[in-house]
Amino acid sequence: MSTTSTEEERSTEARGDTILEVNDLKTYYEDGGFLGSNPVKAVDGVSFDIQRGETLGLVGESGCGKSTLGRTLMRLEEATAGEVKLNGTDITTLSGSDLKQFRKDVQMVFQDPDSSLNERMTVGEIVREPLDVHDWKTPSERRERVRELLETVGLQEQHYYRYPHQFSGGQRQRIGIARALALEPEFIILDEPVSALDVSVQAKILNLLEDLQNEFGLTYLFIAHDLAVVRHICDRVAVMYLGNMMEIGPADEMFDQPANPYTHALLSSIPEPDPTIERDRITLRGTPPSPRDPPAGCPFSTRCPVKIRPEAYRDMDPELWERIEVFREVLRERSRADPSLSDRVRKLLGRESHRAGMDEIIPELFGELDVPSSVMTHIREAADYAENDDEDAAQTYLHEEFGSVCDHERPDQLTVGNRGRLSLCHRHEPEYEEPAAVFETLVQ
Amino acid sequence: MSTTTETEIPLRQRVAENPQPALIWAAIGAVLIGAELGAILQVVGAVAGVVVNLIPGDPGASAVQSLQAAFDAIPTLISRDVIPNQGYWNGTGYENTFLGLSPAVAWAIRVAVVYAYAFAVLAWAWNGYKRFRRHYRRVDWTPRDDVVNRFRGHSWGKFGLIIVITFVVMAVFAPTLGPTTMEQNILQPYDYEVSYWSEDTQSVETVLVGEANLGSGSQGAGDENVAPLTYDDFGRFHPFGTATNGKDLFTQVVFGARISLTIAVVAMGIAGLIGLALAMITAYYKGLADLATVLVSDSIQALPVIMVLILMLVIFQNTWVRELYDGAVLIILIFSIVYWPFIWRSIRGPALQVSEQDWIDAAKSFGQTPTQVMRKHMAPYVFSYMLIYASLSLGGIIISVAGLSYLGLGITAPTPEWGRLIANGQQYVASPSWHISLVPGLLITLVVTGLNAFGDGIRDAIDPQADTGDEAAATGGGA
Ligand code: SF4
Repeated sequence: MSTTSTEEERSTEARGDTILEVNDLKTYYEDGGFLGSNPVKAVDGVSFDIQRGETLGLVGESGCGKSTLGRTLMRLEEATAGEVKLNGTDITTLSGSDLKQFRKDVQMVFQDPDSSLNERMTVGEIVREPLDVHDWKTPSERRERVRELLETVGLQEQHYYRYPHQFSGGQRQRIGIARALALEPEFIILDEPVSALDVSVQAKILNLLEDLQNEFGLTYLFIAHDLAVVRHICDRVAVMYLGNMMEIGPADEMFDQPANPYTHALLSSIPEPDPTIERDRITLRGTPPSPRDPPAGCPFSTRCPVKIRPEAYRDMDPELWERIEVFREVLRERSRADPSLSDRVRKLLGRESHRAGMDEIIPELFGELDVPSSVMTHIREAADYAENDDEDAAQTYLHEEFGSVCDHERPDQLTVGNRGRLSLCHRHEPEYEEPAAVFETLVQ
Repeated sequence: MSTTTETEIPLRQRVAENPQPALIWAAIGAVLIGAELGAILQVVGAVAGVVVNLIPGDPGASAVQSLQAAFDAIPTLISRDVIPNQGYWNGTGYENTFLGLSPAVAWAIRVAVVYAYAFAVLAWAWNGYKRFRRHYRRVDWTPRDDVVNRFRGHSWGKFGLIIVITFVVMAVFAPTLGPTTMEQNILQPYDYEVSYWSEDTQSVETVLVGEANLGSGSQGAGDENVAPLTYDDFGRFHPFGTATNGKDLFTQVVFGARISLTIAVVAMGIAGLIGLALAMITAYYKGLADLATVLVSDSIQALPVIMVLILMLVIFQNTWVRELYDGAVLIILIFSIVYWPFIWRSIRGPALQVSEQDWIDAAKSFGQTPTQVMRKHMAPYVFSYMLIYASLSLGGIIISVAGLSYLGLGITAPTPEWGRLIANGQQYVASPSWHISLVPGLLITLVVTGLNAFGDGIRDAIDPQADTGDEAAATGGGA
């Protein structure tokens, strides 16, 4: 029925040799909560692959699960489901000597150079530790190798006997990179490697990383929240939102013509370097939903500016539609906020809840609009539920009435263009208008 | 100047290339150690004796005894034989005292020599560290240097350190410091004699030590009192006066220091190790391990310490455990069990904090084993916190041990213990014999203050900004 993307399609157009393949990976964790509470769905079914020698950028707002994804690939976090194949072997179940071998092949560079180096060890000891752990050759060869590595990353060999405290942030990051290189890995996960550094230093570290990639044929997964940096260094980019991969594709294409509505929104948040170019900002309403309780349909459906409307409401005044969405957001916020203890006491005593009542919210939202009476009935119905502290019922009611395919069905990753771009959005299905076109109309 | 090869030279070779500072240091060391070689071997012998004593059945006791005898025969600089003070007045001058000086002066000289020697050894060790730092260490700066430097600028901490050293020296050199010996004066007084100048007969007479003790007790009344820094009727000098039964108080106090410090340090050492090991495990694995430890430690901490001690001591009364090392072993065990939750609680925060550092993840990511991660990447950051809380609670243990002995539990008589001395002298506090209770009491106060000052010093040295608000809880300890 549509251009559904699946395994076959992706693997047939594989451009050479795949080093890492991730299939429907999920990482959930109990966040120290009470037993039986919903787990945090930090990574919620992600599939992609990385080609040997390329740099894949992984971007998203903080809390979108990109760091957890990186840590799961490193086996610092246990995967809940799915598989991660490195050179064809599923690494999520490795143990013993296989795990140790894997630990040699994949390394990580951490975000915060203050925290990633043990301050009580000399630089030499820090860089040498991976070699010691894996019993690499003889001790004197190890020292020799550490000195080489220090030079490779642009430090001097007499820094061997210094402590991290004696270095600047950029230099420390170089030490961290030297440590990651020590075991000659083929794949390195860079977890926001420059975001803690001064802008002037960032470029130097990025250049170093590119040089090292060329010299040693490394493959990078570059996690970042700064899109400008990603554009500079990455071959392909993956965009994450709420534990899902919203879009993945070649960097240039994605920056020029974002396909997914979320990518649109994310890109429009970058300040335009050239002020003469007019670009209307799309500001997203609200905050991302809790990863404990993600929306049933599209992960972005609670905030998407181009969300598909149900048939019956296609022609509704956009303003009114917007207000209904805001109303739903308000209900979500209310049910997410735990009622305070005093609220509960009030309820037990049968007194009025302290939270803003529906009789304040409804006029505020819909007061100055011309709301058709049929719509108003639905709103009142939901408001009644909420008034009785049953936000869930209110939400379900609105979901039934105003929900669309975006609310009901989780979209598939659909192919966009002909360069292997995938986007998680119903709007790429033929019966709907493409996101880009809808954005056009929004901006006008 | 740093060449490729230089960074690889082992310490031995670095010393060989520039031997002078090391040689001078070693030469001084040889002199210092040579002067006391006999005493060092005697300590080894004593430790062997304690170990044998601990093993039920005392295997090899005779071998250890002959070894001790052999070690005792080696002359040492600081010994009772070289600077004797137990002489007597023969009508015209002193006999058998050092250079014919009065017993008081001879004793004072010996004490001065002991402390001079002890501080000389410490100065030598410190000098060795500085020489190493200046001439041989490969790194020219380490984070620990800052800690050392900050402590050196901390007067209150240094004051504490000096007090602590003074007490440790007192405990270590107890047999040498006393004006008389445990054996002669306290344990077997009827096996030894003293000579003295009798005013009545105008001649030198001898008397059994036990009888002399009977005639020189401090029991409040004017003629039945031997005050600090005075001689008794038998020409014996008592720096701290005598106890109620006429035995020398100073001798008892220095041996009391030995037992108090041993119990406190060993118990704290065990508790500290348990606490540190558990802190590593709970911070590394979190979750269930942490929860289980919280439960156990909370249950232990809910018990009133003194009550538990009394109960346990009564339960084990008349068993072989109670007899070990005059009851000290049992007390040490109880204190370690009661104190580790406290140490663990105190260092749990720092341990959790360090476990959140990225370098832990980095170490895991290249396959470092959990034990090594705990040892190399976590323990060094938590150890100094443990040291702070250990030194702050040592005082609590010393007080508790004294309290137990005061109640008649704890260390069994006749082994001297500060608490028992205080109890003995209690009824004479308002009489001329006030010194019996007051001197040990003051010493306890001083040593506890010193330990707290030392703990404060370390705390400020490792973390100048830290504001550990729970020090009051720490000092409160078990007392
Ligand atoms: S599926 Fe619907 S809600 Fe999700 S991004 Fe596409 S248009 Fe927006």
